[in-house]
Amino acid sequence: MNQKTTLIIGFLAVALVACKQEFLEVQPLVGSTEANFFQNADDAESATIACYNNLQQEVTNIQGSAQLAPHFRWYFGDICSDDSHKGGSGDGDEPELFLFENFSGNSSSKLVLAEWQVAYRGIAYCNLALDRIPGIEMDQQDKDRFLGEASFIRAYWYFNMVTMFGDVPLILGNLAPSEYQQARSSSNEVWAQIEADLTFARENLPRRSELSIAETGRATWGAASALLAKAHAYQEEWQPCNDICLDVMTSGEYYLDPDYANIFTESGENGPGSIWEIQYMNASGGNWGNQLEGSFTNVFQRARGQFGGYGFNIPEQNFVDEFENGDPRLGATVFQVGDQMGDRGVFSLEATGMPHLYYSKKFFINASDEAPFGDPNPNGFSNDRVIRYADVILFHAESAYHLGNEGLARNSVNIIRSRARGGNQALLVSLGTDVTGPDLLDAIYHERRVELGMEGHRFFDLVRTGRGSVELADWGFVSGTHEVFPIPEVEITLSGGLITQNNGY
Amino acid sequence: MKKLLIAINFVFAIMVTAFSQGKAVTGVVTAAEDGTALPGVTVVEKGTQNASFTDLDGNYTIQVTKQDAILVFSFIGYTPKNVSVAGKDAVNASLEMDVAGLEEVIVVGYGNQKRSKISGAVGTIDTKEITSLPVLRTEQALQGRAAGVQVTQNSGQPGSTQSIRIRGTGSLNNAEPLYVIDGIPSAGIDYLNPADIASISILKDAASAAIYGARGGNGVVLITTKTGSKNQKPQITYESYYGMQEPWKYMALLNAEEYGILMNESRSAAGLLPLEALSNPSALGEGEDWQDEIFQRAPMMNHSFSFTNGTESSSTAVGGSYFVQDGIVGGEKGRFERYTFRINTRQDAGDKFRMGQNINFTHLDRSALAENNEFNSVVGRALNMDPTTEAMRPDGSYAYSTMIDSDIANPANQIALNNDFWTTNRFVGSVFGEYDILSNLKFRSTMSVDLSLGSHRVFSPSYDLGIGPNDPDRPAYEWREVNGLMLGENKWSNWQWENTVTYDKELSNGDDVQVVAGYSALNNLSTNFYGFRDSLASNDLQYAYLNNSLNAQEQAPSASGGTTASAFVGQFVRLNYGLGDAWSLSGTVRRDGSSRFGVNNRYGIFPSVSAAWNMTELPWVAEKDWIDFLKLRASWGQNGNADGIGNFDYTSLVYNGLNYTFGSEQVQTNGAGPVNTSNPDLKWETVEQTNVGIDADLYDGKLNIVADYFVKSTNDMLAVVPLPGVVGFLPSATNVASAKNSGVEFAVNHRNQVGDFNYSIGGNIAFIRNEVTDLGEGGQPVATGSVFGIGDLVAYTEIGQPIAYFYGYETDGIFQTDEEAAANTSLPNAQAGDVIFVDQNSDGVVDSDDKVMIGNPHPDFTYGINMEASYKNFDFTLFLQGSQGNDLLNGAFRYDLNTTNLPVAALERWTGEGTSNLYPRISHADPNQNNRISDRFVEDGSYMRIKNVQLGYTLPDNAMQRLKIGKCRVYVAANNLFTFTQYSGLDPEVGTRGTLEIGIDRGFYPSARTFIAGINVNF
Repeated sequence: MNQKTTLIIGFLAVALVACKQEFLEVQPLVGSTEANFFQNADDAESATIACYNNLQQEVTNIQGSAQLAPHFRWYFGDICSDDSHKGGSGDGDEPELFLFENFSGNSSSKLVLAEWQVAYRGIAYCNLALDRIPGIEMDQQDKDRFLGEASFIRAYWYFNMVTMFGDVPLILGNLAPSEYQQARSSSNEVWAQIEADLTFARENLPRRSELSIAETGRATWGAASALLAKAHAYQEEWQPCNDICLDVMTSGEYYLDPDYANIFTESGENGPGSIWEIQYMNASGGNWGNQLEGSFTNVFQRARGQFGGYGFNIPEQNFVDEFENGDPRLGATVFQVGDQMGDRGVFSLEATGMPHLYYSKKFFINASDEAPFGDPNPNGFSNDRVIRYADVILFHAESAYHLGNEGLARNSVNIIRSRARGGNQALLVSLGTDVTGPDLLDAIYHERRVELGMEGHRFFDLVRTGRGSVELADWGFVSGTHEVFPIPEVEITLSGGLITQNNGY
Repeated sequence: MKKLLIAINFVFAIMVTAFSQGKAVTGVVTAAEDGTALPGVTVVEKGTQNASFTDLDGNYTIQVTKQDAILVFSFIGYTPKNVSVAGKDAVNASLEMDVAGLEEVIVVGYGNQKRSKISGAVGTIDTKEITSLPVLRTEQALQGRAAGVQVTQNSGQPGSTQSIRIRGTGSLNNAEPLYVIDGIPSAGIDYLNPADIASISILKDAASAAIYGARGGNGVVLITTKTGSKNQKPQITYESYYGMQEPWKYMALLNAEEYGILMNESRSAAGLLPLEALSNPSALGEGEDWQDEIFQRAPMMNHSFSFTNGTESSSTAVGGSYFVQDGIVGGEKGRFERYTFRINTRQDAGDKFRMGQNINFTHLDRSALAENNEFNSVVGRALNMDPTTEAMRPDGSYAYSTMIDSDIANPANQIALNNDFWTTNRFVGSVFGEYDILSNLKFRSTMSVDLSLGSHRVFSPSYDLGIGPNDPDRPAYEWREVNGLMLGENKWSNWQWENTVTYDKELSNGDDVQVVAGYSALNNLSTNFYGFRDSLASNDLQYAYLNNSLNAQEQAPSASGGTTASAFVGQFVRLNYGLGDAWSLSGTVRRDGSSRFGVNNRYGIFPSVSAAWNMTELPWVAEKDWIDFLKLRASWGQNGNADGIGNFDYTSLVYNGLNYTFGSEQVQTNGAGPVNTSNPDLKWETVEQTNVGIDADLYDGKLNIVADYFVKSTNDMLAVVPLPGVVGFLPSATNVASAKNSGVEFAVNHRNQVGDFNYSIGGNIAFIRNEVTDLGEGGQPVATGSVFGIGDLVAYTEIGQPIAYFYGYETDGIFQTDEEAAANTSLPNAQAGDVIFVDQNSDGVVDSDDKVMIGNPHPDFTYGINMEASYKNFDFTLFLQGSQGNDLLNGAFRYDLNTTNLPVAALERWTGEGTSNLYPRISHADPNQNNRISDRFVEDGSYMRIKNVQLGYTLPDNAMQRLKIGKCRVYVAANNLFTFTQYSGLDPEVGTRGTLEIGIDRGFYPSARTFIAGINVNF
């Protein structure tokens, strides 16, 4: 071998080695990785907003698959109650919901799986924020507020989980692979955590009046208080429930919108009686793409046929009959045949192509107000009014009743009735002192049903007050089983059997 | 960049080094039987890798290293011949017919090998097969040509991709083979002009593909483009064809009268009154034929020029082509146009240094219609649209249906409004230098780039099919108030630098040894930018640009974009050892690293060994006159499959975009967080394959047999194993799953000559069994394949079953009476006329636990049969291709919508006791969910297709000489002339969508039947 060839071979050897060093260390050019995030106040805020993000999930991919599953609050709260039935194009449209409506749903349903997965996804972002934000050097007040928001949202998810499923795994940090399999904690422990998180949130969240306009929709002291009051009510802890309701009612932060119907319009969003609303905005979604900006509820609940909806959540006759004669709230809650459906035409059976006599109204929006993105079925802007001031007032009534203060209870119910009658004194006469004892309790329940109808409360109210087996008997409700939904079968399997199934499923 | 500069300097350094002595030999190769020139003959200097090819006049030039070099002439169908140069400058050769083609040199990874010596499983397709049938895409040239290579179209729309499965579906992820074009790994081969291709080799077993390491797991398709040869007279070739495409089948659907009858029945079954418009069905007559509205005859055309030239020390091949194809749906709205330009050049600088360049530029224009989905595809809508609606009103405006809404909008209007364009400009170029360090030690360095610029433009005009303004009856999808525009720019750029050293020596004991060692570095970078805007000032496509908006102040255009990169390195060595004439041994090791692999598994090592035993000289073989050649092959090896892994799949990226809306102005506020769990162990999928095979030539080469048996196991297969929900983040893929493909392949060829009559008949067939063997901890099945019309996921991937089999309810006929239905308590909502779904586990309820396998989309076998005959100036070919035993899922109809049109099978519905045991009653309410996923929707997808039949005539030589034309052939041909199938849908050749959706027909865009006339001329 001559010198030249030796040289070339040497060169080759060098070239091969030189190229090896760090050639494969390619860093993402856009975005960061988990390792280098959580550095500053901006990261802390982004991590907090990420906790909110999941609240908007209504139609979600089942974990790791292409399967989509809707899991609206009104699926379980309304359709599984006596307020409404499923609707859709027929029994085969969302068949699993049809089964749940008739209390024959089972643990293999993707609906309960979606509910479970979305809640824990939301909890994971809260846990991440609560775990990592304390270590960031930043303004203490902002930090406390972010932690308060994450605590509130975590409590919100656990509230949904414990009311849906009963005992559930209580996850308070991000899990290492060795910790992936977790058993259920008792519902008492879950409730205790909810109360702890909400107490912390109450101490660290701003009052609504302290929010700037641009911050509308962020969690407040009022939201944490109201949810805490509800948590106590669900546990029949009436004294703390009453105290907190009173706190909210005397805070001067909220008042009832004089026009009930206005609450459910665009201008009624985040209105004077709005305590906790999940925010949505107009978005293109007919391609089922950007799911987290707009709400699917609008199109799902709108009538079929020329109205371009899917016709779900059809009010029951039983529910319509619950309204007292002339109660203006019926007209704000239910469309009846012959009603004008905004700018979309007059409601007739022919126009909807379906035999249903009623449609849900609270999520109806005009075509002209929809996203102007050229999408024939865009996602809607309607916020989900999760906790309204009326809810707090009625919990005040209920707790006062249980604490023996019937006068205060009647007074609170009458506040609601007074607003509802909209100045027409002939309607919805106030409860007099003759309404007492069990009649008063029934009156409170009645008021809840019509005031909060089609807002996703009814099923959980019936279960909470032990009335499921009576009111839902026709649908097959069995006491001791249907107070909660089945734990998703897949989750039981993946927990290695640590998670057990609910009774009767 | 620094490394790139080093590379360039290095190439230059070699270019200016060393000019030493060699020798050019030229000559003419002719056929012994008639003395005509043989083009395309391989000429190799024995003991080296110096090779050349003859041109169309049989001329060749080759650089040899020594005066007494021995030249080996080989050509498919002819016995190879060794001729000593013996110091001469011109060496002519005359070759004898030999059907077997044993000595043919075929392209393998990083080199060439004689067929007789090959120990792996390699399929080849030669130029003649590629150009004989006018193929629109290069992949089509592979269909039916090589055993075990299954090619299916993913759509009949011009420009659509094809899916290729070499020896079964070996992955849950990316199952497509690696394409290597002139040594450059390439994403997609749609930029190639098929006429530029010289040969295709398909590396099927692990040993052949092992030198491609972490990317060879799904097999490798090696494509070599044509180069000129030295000392060749300038030659021009012109090829052209014109074809007319047409749909070959319409589905038999209800006419308007039948539709009216069935809809009335369906409404009445649900307690609804008949619709006014359908009250008198007999008055409705035939109604609209929507298939006729969307299908049309559509032309296609190809022009291709090539020019080759060679001098003493260089050669040049220039090719250019234009191809255009309109769609049988939408015509020019579904058009694909391709312009290609290629220059391949080779130069000698002295006799020790050679260099060459391949430069390809391709411009693609594609206009595409939505296809193969049940929501907005033109074909799907045409099948579902009710026949009582006319496509157009008498005034020429498009009409909407009053029967059906939701996704089913007027498809004719959709075609008219469609503006979806892709324009791609792709430059692929490489330059290499090759230097003989010693006479048998050669160094080669190749630098290549692949730059692709893709523009996407979608304009959605506003429209309104309503009668008058604000017609309240028009369905939501029949008007769009605001127009919108999307413009996107994408750039993909790759570079690769590859260095190899080849050592080739014939040892004194007659053994020969060849070593190839090399290093390869690859870098990918892609960026994209998209902009969107609505409310454009004009509804005219011509003025559809982002700055042309009505409300420029109110609504700013939105934009998105990103960039991502990856890097890949490989080192490899292969040793071939020829032990006498009887044994060929080969071993390969490759070590690959990728930036896509997790930090704990950055590099993988992929070994293989193989051996071939030439038994021809064994006494018991030699004594049998009818055996000309017999070889046994065996190989084992491991490859990786890594191309399905995303750039940063191993880490948990923090995404911006976990947003939320705040404020009365509803402002999106940025939220950020991880989405997936991270997986630092992420690595390639390991494909391990064992192959045994036999090659035999019998009866004087008239019969040629290749048979193979293989077992291919994919381990470490990436699967997203569901995590417990409490983890919160989405699971990332982990290397946990396994699958196995095993099968046998046969290829048989017979050719003969009787006087002026030449004929050949060949066939290949492959039987492949596919099974998932592991899905990781828990073994949770993977459900895919959402079919909306039947409301479910229909494909299931589960241990012990084939990948993505069809999963649903088994049916057992129809309830004939209400009593019978009432007696079956597992179906509480059933009544007479409803489907009996089988309660498999006898738990008294039919629910999702009762779903079972209802079909297998994988064929029992696939095959191709090729017949050729020529008599004097006439030639004839017939090519059949088929698939047997695969099921298809017919999911084209939107049963969820109640009022779609239906196949005529619906006329056989149940209407009373004893009327039908197959098709249930029709009901708007459908309380029994008769249309849930069941075996009712699974059909036998077997087919046999006459892919190509062709008759050609070569004009006589004397006529040609008068016209001063070298050779001229004219032909007529038909593609897809006949298809034999039981499948009821528009086309049985339904491809895949991703890897885990196989054979699901959602209103498939069928392939066309095409009649073609063409001409090939050489000057």
